[in-house]
Amino acid sequence: MNKPLPKEYYTQLEEIQAIDFTLYELALYLDTHPSDSQAIQQYNQCAVYCKQLKAQFESTFGPLQFGSPNTNQQEWTWNSGPWPWQI
Amino acid sequence: MTKKTDEYSTKSYVPYHSPFDPCPPLQRKYYSTPPNLYIGFQPRNLQQFSPIEALKKGTLWTPFYDYYENPYKK
Repeated sequence: MNKPLPKEYYTQLEEIQAIDFTLYELALYLDTHPSDSQAIQQYNQCAVYCKQLKAQFESTFGPLQFGSPNTNQQEWTWNSGPWPWQI
Repeated sequence: MTKKTDEYSTKSYVPYHSPFDPCPPLQRKYYSTPPNLYIGFQPRNLQQFSPIEALKKGTLWTPFYDYYENPYKK
């Protein structure tokens, strides 16, 4: 990787990280409050939103994790992205 | 960010100082206790941080966030 990453790479990644954290917090809460329907609703909303964000990120910057679909039909992008220590 | 000076976030006490203490003693010692100790079982519908803010503060729920500032810093 030679060219520096665009700013959106970092903002989008941070958003994904934040939503993931919220999901974990809600999951921990729901472990002790399994019948709080409002929290379940919020959890589901967050999960859907998180999926959208990740799909959007992967379509522009390549796969986030192993097993996500290769969005570029012509070229294999798994080994071309920045390595974790280059981000 | 609001500086939190609740009754339970930071506490202090004055330890005994020996007159023969070889080092300059800390006049007042500080400690803090986390807010979850005083909440017990988590109530429903607590106020929440926004996701980005929650990530920075380390908790989603505002009552569980405890502001910390080094009281020994000069």
